[in-house]
Amino acid sequence: MPHVMINRKKCTGCHMCELACSAFHEGGFQPSRARLFAAVNPTTAAIKGHTCLQTGCAKCQEACPNDAIVARRITVTPKGSFASKEKIGDSSDGYVLVVDESKCNNCGDCYDVCPTEVIFEHPSRRVAFKCDLCDGDPQCIAFCQNEYVLAVDLKVDKADKARAEA
Amino acid sequence: MDFYQGRVLRIDLSKGTSAVEPLNMEWAGKYVGGKGLLLRYLWEEVPPNVDPWAPENPLVIMTGPFAGTNVATASRVLVGCKSPITGILTDSYSGGSFAPEMKFAGYDAFIITGQAKEPVVVTVKDDVVAFLSATGKYSGLMTSEIEAALRADFDANAKVLSIGPAGEREIPWACVATDQYHKAGRGGHGALMGRKGLKAIAVRGTGRVTVGDAKAFLADMYRMQGENVLIPDNLAQYEEGTPVLAQIMSDAGIIPTRNWSTGTFDGIGTINSESFLKIRTGNRACTQCAIACRQFHEAGGVVGEGPEYETIALCGANCGMDDIEALMKFNHACDELGLDTISSGSVVGLAMDLTEKGVKDFGLHFGEAEAYLQAPELIAKREGIGAELALGSRGLAAKYGRSELAMEVKNLELPGYDARGAFGMSLSYATSDRGGCHMRAWPVGDEIITGTLAPDSLEGKAAYVISGQDYQAMKFTGIWCDFWAAGLDQMALLMRHVWKREVSEEELRLVGERVWNLGRLFNLREGVEADTVPLKFYAEEYAHTEGPPAGKAIGAEALNSAIKEYYMLRGWDAQGVPTEAKLAELSIDVRL
Repeated sequence: MPHVMINRKKCTGCHMCELACSAFHEGGFQPSRARLFAAVNPTTAAIKGHTCLQTGCAKCQEACPNDAIVARRITVTPKGSFASKEKIGDSSDGYVLVVDESKCNNCGDCYDVCPTEVIFEHPSRRVAFKCDLCDGDPQCIAFCQNEYVLAVDLKVDKADKARAEA
Repeated sequence: MDFYQGRVLRIDLSKGTSAVEPLNMEWAGKYVGGKGLLLRYLWEEVPPNVDPWAPENPLVIMTGPFAGTNVATASRVLVGCKSPITGILTDSYSGGSFAPEMKFAGYDAFIITGQAKEPVVVTVKDDVVAFLSATGKYSGLMTSEIEAALRADFDANAKVLSIGPAGEREIPWACVATDQYHKAGRGGHGALMGRKGLKAIAVRGTGRVTVGDAKAFLADMYRMQGENVLIPDNLAQYEEGTPVLAQIMSDAGIIPTRNWSTGTFDGIGTINSESFLKIRTGNRACTQCAIACRQFHEAGGVVGEGPEYETIALCGANCGMDDIEALMKFNHACDELGLDTISSGSVVGLAMDLTEKGVKDFGLHFGEAEAYLQAPELIAKREGIGAELALGSRGLAAKYGRSELAMEVKNLELPGYDARGAFGMSLSYATSDRGGCHMRAWPVGDEIITGTLAPDSLEGKAAYVISGQDYQAMKFTGIWCDFWAAGLDQMALLMRHVWKREVSEEELRLVGERVWNLGRLFNLREGVEADTVPLKFYAEEYAHTEGPPAGKAIGAEALNSAIKEYYMLRGWDAQGVPTEAKLAELSIDVRL
């Protein structure tokens, strides 16, 4: 199932992915509300990418007592280049995990179990928010186009732990 | 409001208070941001003829309208003040992540006034401003150490602007550091920060920068990224970056070598780009810039960013240093202590020259690493020879009656291009608004690199330099980086989003000219030295004897007439004062 990954060895720490992510979803540039992030240690320049592994992980869905995290069908067709493009092709079908805001009561169980720390409480809507692959056009990939870098990549897992379809 | 946050944070260090005030949007309309807005604020905030070391001289931290968006390279932060070295304006820029964080915290600018009774650190988390004592554990910390300490004590995601030990001791060319490797290097902002008792400012912002229709903006930026940003011209900065200039400038005979005694460095082969590529460990980027030009190297147990060309020239060739490990260590020491490398290399090279000429023995010799590597720390602490070296090039050479050996303009040490082999640089240096600087106009680009201009003539150079200065002045309002070769056409495409209307190139060229003229007025008001360059650059008796510039000299007459031509083309009078007609034409809203 498709999901985004940040290659920590290639990432340069420009944060373009976070900026684009927040602008796409929040109507303005606000990395504190990005759905993925690259943690950069400015002193050592070490980088760690944090992205949602979607249905290949699905720990948030397992933890949710309200069935508020649901799998939705998606076709991902990223703009521009990405490292796995040759292997995956221009587009990939599968499921993405999204928050059903009518069911989410912001209990926080999912925040505690996310292994990559990328599901959060939305400060104004008071519900969980997470990566939804931008309706199939991931902005993080679109803005990681330095041909020498291409750190934000699309991956497709064979394993699919989530089952519930909205 | 889109792009701007419309808010200025005023920090009074004397009182230990802060207040938020609205950004002057009338000025922002006229002067855009960055350099333009800085100069308009300095005009208002600097009491005319104030002693630059006095508490009344403000330190201004300025952003541009595009900081915090995904407009490539525009994350640069500007630190400005009336320079304690030159006594005129100084605007110094740094990449990194500080400016976007300021915007996310809700501010376009910080205006820092007064002087703390005891050193402090100021923290800003969105609307919450706090003052911490810097007399205890923060005192004397290196730039990387104070950043790490504030990320531990204040906020794990804090961005920090700080001074190192050199700033605390008010070394004239102390710089301001951010993200450890980035420096607002030139003009002594770090020294003023030290005088003000401000060790660091740490910022954490969680807010947003709006741009109008964000999805439409993203689509336009995606297009520009492919068409204008991630193109070979700019990606060259990822591939090799500025070290590529080392071999080119040595071959052209214009790399300052052994205190500017020649322009061809026989040891260039071990400190050129080829040598740095061998020890390269990877690239890092400034926030909001996919070009990722920050090259990390490892040698002699030192891992770090850089050195860039100017450091290779001044701390390498100018000190006769061809040992790449020693150069890496010297650069690292300057980074950590918070010393500008151009001035550091220039002063150390001068001290080597004075030693070898038998004028005064500083124990420093061209090409000898041991004493050279001790120099930065001695300077930063004003210990041993450092106490004298801290006088700077002009002061040190004058003390020993050898002023002709000091290579500076308006008391700012010169960067890595010898005007004897690139005549246009003499005019660029002489008319630069902050003294010896290569970032206002860069004739070298066409005199040496493209070869489209004759390097041994000043003909047509006045117009060339003016056009470069106006373009750069506009670029520094954005604040775009030199590593995006963006023309005014591309800036116009971006400014269209800010002004919500069509924008012409000519309109932006005029902004640049307006900003440049405002800077001139500020410098005239504060008292600027005559526009000239060191004797070595133009007098026949100092002509080089080897390399392409051998036997060539600008001559005093040609230099003077080029400066006169420059004034005339600028619409200034014979003394270099902008005429009323020019000020009116540019809609400049202040007068001398």
